[in-house]
Formats: sequence, C-alpha cells, structure tokens
Amino acid sequence: MEKNVIQIKNVFKNYGDFTAINDISFNVEESSCYGFLGPNGAGKTTLMNMIYGRARRAPGKESSVDIFGYDPAYNELEIKYLAGVVPQENNLDEELNVIENLKIYSKFYDIPAGETAKILEPLLDFMELGDKKNVRIRELSGGMKRRLIITRALIHKPRLLILDEPTTGLDPQVRHTIWEKLRQLKNEGTTILLTTHYMEEAFHICDKILIMDKGKKILEGEPKQLLDTQIESYLLEMTDKNCLQGTDSISNLIDGKNIRKDEAGGIMFLYSDSFENLKKISENLKPGCFYIRQTNLEDLFLKITGRHLNEKQ
Amino acid sequence: MKNNKINLYPPFLNRIYSVWYRHYKVYTKNIISNGLPPFLEPLIFLAGMGLGLNTYITNMDGVPYLEFLAAGLLLTSAMFTAAFECSYGTFIRMEFDKVYDAMLAAPITLKDLLVGEILWAGTKGFFFSLAVLFVISTFGIVPLNLILLAPFVGFITGVMFAALSLLITSFVSDINQFNFYFTGFLSPMFFFSGVVFPLEKLPSAIRPFAEIFPLTHSIRLVRALCSARFQWHLFLDLGFIIVFTAIVGYFGIKRLGKRLIS
Repeated sequence: MEKNVIQIKNVFKNYGDFTAINDISFNVEESSCYGFLGPNGAGKTTLMNMIYGRARRAPGKESSVDIFGYDPAYNELEIKYLAGVVPQENNLDEELNVIENLKIYSKFYDIPAGETAKILEPLLDFMELGDKKNVRIRELSGGMKRRLIITRALIHKPRLLILDEPTTGLDPQVRHTIWEKLRQLKNEGTTILLTTHYMEEAFHICDKILIMDKGKKILEGEPKQLLDTQIESYLLEMTDKNCLQGTDSISNLIDGKNIRKDEAGGIMFLYSDSFENLKKISENLKPGCFYIRQTNLEDLFLKITGRHLNEKQ
Repeated sequence: MKNNKINLYPPFLNRIYSVWYRHYKVYTKNIISNGLPPFLEPLIFLAGMGLGLNTYITNMDGVPYLEFLAAGLLLTSAMFTAAFECSYGTFIRMEFDKVYDAMLAAPITLKDLLVGEILWAGTKGFFFSLAVLFVISTFGIVPLNLILLAPFVGFITGVMFAALSLLITSFVSDINQFNFYFTGFLSPMFFFSGVVFPLEKLPSAIRPFAEIFPLTHSIRLVRALCSARFQWHLFLDLGFIIVFTAIVGYFGIKRLGKRLIS
C-alpha cells in the first residue's frame, strides 16, 4: 500500500452562522486520484482552498491538516510550492499569448529565464498545445484555455495537483483528452485531488471519491465498490407521468418485490437488484414509456443528495 | 510545526519581484496605448493652460505660473496612475479577471502579492512623473536642476496612493463606488494641495485641512527640489508620507487579506 500524503482530520469551517465544512476527515494515498463530489454549495471548493492555504480551517485541537508533512496554517509557502492548482474559473492573462502566460508564472517558481523554454515546450506538447505557443488567449477555444491552465499548474512539476472542476463545460473529446493526461500524470507519481460534477469523470479517473453534501461527508470509497454496495443494480425509469396501463397502482405492483420507489416531478423511478422484478412491472406499463438500465454513480449521487434543489444550489 | 528543511520556495524579494514582473509584462504588452498617454496628458494640459491661463496669470509664488503648475503636475500624474492601478485595477484583478486566484495559488503570500502591487504602482508613479518631466523640460518650462530627481518623489507618491487605494478597495463591493473616491477625495486634492495655487492663499480656517491631504506633503518635496530651497520642515512632510503609507498600507493589506483568504 502507498503511504498517505494527505491526512485531513476533523476539519470545520464556518462563515458566520453558516457551517461550510462540518467535521470532514479523509486520507489520500501518494500517486492516486481522489475526487470530491457534491452539489453546488456543498463545500468542495472550500475544502480544496483549505488544503493550499486560501481558506483557513476553524481552530480546534481535534482537527489537523497534513499535506506532504506540512500544515497550511504554518507552511503555506511549502505547500504552494509543491502543489499546482487549477481553479474553477479560467484566469489567464488575456493581454498575453500562450507562452508569455506561462513565462510570467515560471518567475513565481524561480525558474531561470534561460531554462523556461526547455521546461515549457515539452509541457505544451504534452497538453497538445505545442502549435499554439504564440497565439493570443482570446483566440483560444474553451478547451485550449482549460488545457493551458492545467499546463500552468504543471510548470514546476508539482507532486500534488489540485483541480477544481477541470472539465466543466468542455466537449467530450477535450474531456477525454484531459482524463488521459491526468491518468498519465498519476502514473508518473503525481497525487491528484479534484472536484467534479461529472459522475462519469469520477468513475473514470478517481481511485477514491468522497461524496459530500451541506459540508458533511456522506460517503467515501472506491467508485465501483460504492456502486456495488450503496445502490441497487438496476433502475426502471419512466419517461412520462401516465405510464400505467391497467388498473393496478404502482404501490400494488411493487409490493413485496423489494423495490425502492423514488419520484420527482410526477415521474417515477424504481430501483431493484433484480432485473426480473423490474421487467415484470414493466409489463403493466405502456410500451415506449419507460426503460430499464444499470444504475450508475449519478443515480447513487441523487439517491444520497436528493433529487431536489436546496437553497445553495 | 516549524521544521528544519531547506526552504524550497523562492525568497521574499524574488516573490515580490514575480508579482511586479507579472504587472510589468502585462503593462508593456500594449506599449503604445499604455505608454503614450502619460506623455500626451501633460502636453495637452500645459498647452491648454499655457495658451489660456498663462496670459492672465504670469506669476505665482515668485515663479512663472506655467512652471508652478508643471511642478505640481509631476506628482498629480503619479497620484492618479497609482490610485487607478490599486483601485479599479486591483478590483478588476480580484473580482472580475480572478488574476489573484491564480497568483495566490503560486508560492507567494497575500502580503507578497499586495506589497508587489504597491511597488508596481510606485513604479508607474515614477514613470508617469518621468513622462511629465520629459515634456516640461523639452518645452523649457522648468530649469533643469534638482527637478531631475522629481520621478523619485513620483515613486514615493505612487506608493503612498497605492497603499491608500488598497485600503479604499477593501471597503468597495461594487466597482462604481470608486466614483466617490475619485470625485470626493482625489479631485479636491488636486485643487487644495498646492498644485494650482499656494496653500498660503487659503483662508486660515481651511488651511489645516489641506495638511491632512497626503498630496500636500509630496508637493512640498517637489517644490523644494524645484527651488533648491530646503527647510527643516520638509522632514515633517517626509515623515507624514512614511507614517501615512505605513498605516494605510497595514490596514489595507489586513482588510484585503480577510477578503481574499477566508
């Protein structure tokens, strides 16, 4: 087993009366990818910010944060030096071109001017931006901007890469490219922390995920294992309010079959570990009005965080 | 958790220099649109004043009026550029462009970032004073003597107004609120700090208020350079500038810190 390079114990964060982080603990192993999932306003970004000193945890004897042996409350600069951060919002310098953007950030890491080209060019090639060196930022597509920000976070070969929603709003090709790069970095030894709204993303690249809601940890584990243990295997999803044919009500139909019912906006979702049972129920439904499929991480997510919006979303 | 490991991150001065360098690169990228106006502005101002007012007022406080005005202009340009940089500029970097989010993820502290901002604004103050000096000396408006040192006073003035502007910015939640700062504070300072007429001409009841204006003290320094007459009370002016900058800078950094690091 790899050693834990991040150890978070019982951290809290309050903004006035509002508790943004409520007693969260977790560990991250070296060169693994750890993902935070949760609705908007769940506290994911606050948690990330706490790790590199952009947010301070509430004081408390019980709580501790250990990032590669450093505590952000005292060793902010050490942590920032060994970590690379990709923020949620793109914040490149629009006035400058691609290579200039990277050069000004090389300064922050004391990289001698003579060595920047040697470091930056292979990085740009790695992120498939090699031919964009002299292009102005406003001429880049959304996907290129995102890749450039990731490149910027990699200038100093960080041991820890922190990404806040790295692929939000990007097309599938770009998203898959970014996943591939992140996997490659992980295999080379980089530890990765990320937040995401894409369950698929979490499933594909995270070794472990933590689902949080309203500042609290709800579930933690390997994505596949969570799917196996925390949610039924199959889902019958109706696509219309009036799917029933015949006289039996849904409650009668599911009675005794070990089926969980969920409802949102008048539309019914039936979960079960038995495909057969769902199939039987479907015989009482109008054709084309439903489908049965395997459950995924998104279903699990909705199960534990609810289908309805809360006031922070 | 203090430890004995070797510091991996860059030392203090390098960190501040990184911030300064970032601003320098962005500013000089559009050298024409950023670098020309500092020369045009005094040209237009002095042409307007010289062609108009100068024919009515030929002498102010013992020197030609245009020379009197020009000396003041050396610093008002530094004041305005530094104030813009650390009010609108800082606010935009903080709230709209999110540049600070990127910089604060690099190995610098909040203090490094804001000290870098202040020094950059001071540098712009130096440059703007230099531009005015270039224009007024080209037209022979001022005799070339100690006034060649004026850009250094421009630097000090820039630093002082940068620190003040950071403090103002820490109170601002909507960018339009800066209008109060510029109209309500900086514009009056232009008129009541000894730039357009000597403070001795103010009614004695109002004079003490002019002493509160930070620009008043910078102006005295530059006028001393101009006339090459140095009196002991210049130390009071210099002292005011240092103490004022330290106090507003301290609170500006502290208050912005609360905003940027939650």
